[in-house]
Amino acid sequence: MSWTPCRSTFLFLFAVTPWLGAEQERLTAKQMDDAIFIETVSTPTPSEFFLALGKQSQPNWNHILRPTLPVATSDREQIAMQLGMLVADGFMAIEAQNGQSVKNTTRDILILAKKLNVSQQIVARGQSISDFADTAQWRELREELDAMQNDIRLSLLEQKDSPLVVLASAGSWVRQIEMGSNILASGDKSVSTELLTQPDVASRILARVQNLPQNSQKSPLVQSLLSVLLTASSLMSETKSDLPASSVSKLVSTMAGFSHAVGGTDSKK
Amino acid sequence: MTAWISILFSLLASLLISSAVETASGLPNPSPLDWNSSDQSPRRLALEMAAGNAGEGYQIHDGFWSGALAKDAPVHIEVYLFAGNDYRFSAANVDFYSQLRLKIFDAWGFPVGNQYSGDSSCSAAGISVIQSGRYFIQLVMSEGDKADTCMVYSYK
Repeated sequence: MSWTPCRSTFLFLFAVTPWLGAEQERLTAKQMDDAIFIETVSTPTPSEFFLALGKQSQPNWNHILRPTLPVATSDREQIAMQLGMLVADGFMAIEAQNGQSVKNTTRDILILAKKLNVSQQIVARGQSISDFADTAQWRELREELDAMQNDIRLSLLEQKDSPLVVLASAGSWVRQIEMGSNILASGDKSVSTELLTQPDVASRILARVQNLPQNSQKSPLVQSLLSVLLTASSLMSETKSDLPASSVSKLVSTMAGFSHAVGGTDSKK
Repeated sequence: MTAWISILFSLLASLLISSAVETASGLPNPSPLDWNSSDQSPRRLALEMAAGNAGEGYQIHDGFWSGALAKDAPVHIEVYLFAGNDYRFSAANVDFYSQLRLKIFDAWGFPVGNQYSGDSSCSAAGISVIQSGRYFIQLVMSEGDKADTCMVYSYK
């Protein structure tokens, strides 16, 4: 491996410098308002959410896992939302350390990606995911699925399908909140509702869906999504502390109803 | 004449074989993030720093910010972090004489976390998140000319 100044600096100056003691500068409101928001950095991934959730409650992921069943449809908006949900399912299957479920989910992602003409760019990723799942390399699987999600996003942007990127991202977030609220509603007291209370993320996603072109907004499912996001945003914004049980129940029913309408879920579990 | 042709053919064949062997043995390990180790881009340098955290169990997120950073013109990037997770942010540029600093601020604008490297063309900072929510990453170049800079993050 090459010896670069960065590497040497990092090795020799790795001593942690506590931030305390440095001059305590503070960001201004304008600096925070003007901060750059980029979807690939500023929006948390399902992997980060499930990782944090797992640390708090060690849920039985295999019990919770209800893979989205892709519904045959030619509605590209619906396919994009299904795709986002499947990506979230894939991350959950990784938390469950269920290699077969990861492989099944990846296969479904590839099928949906093909319908959106972006499967060519992710075929190799699908093979890597299958290999990592066989050898139980969970950290590598997270990175590879994350990269697959990003490749789909970039390919959709390249073919001028940015509304589908927004819908896939929204589908993924809805699925995360559905699973998180399910764990809370099941009576697990170890999970803080703080993880579920994401008003900033909800309002960002809501604004992006509201700004979709008119032809995308004609889809009844996109209208349902808007309604779901409005409900979630309102529930999450109404409290500065813990979400009350009634709000958690409302989130469960709202998100689950939408998930079922978009993709259907495996009712056998 | 036939002998010369034969020698030339042998030379050519051995060159081709050795080149094929070298290519096969020199193949980089498969990386989910597809960064090329011979590339001197800011992203490659930032990813190289982030990859150093893998031994501690950090996984790299496949997303990045990149842009031109000018001296004393800080850039702020919004991120959303979850309580219970540890995050490390790494930034770099290819102007090795520049001084880059990366800092983390909370939703109220106060500095938080730890800085992991001194003033150089690359910088890193980390945080163990106690409260989920919005955070801000500040990138400042205190020395050097305007340079393309990249930031990535990893988490565990």
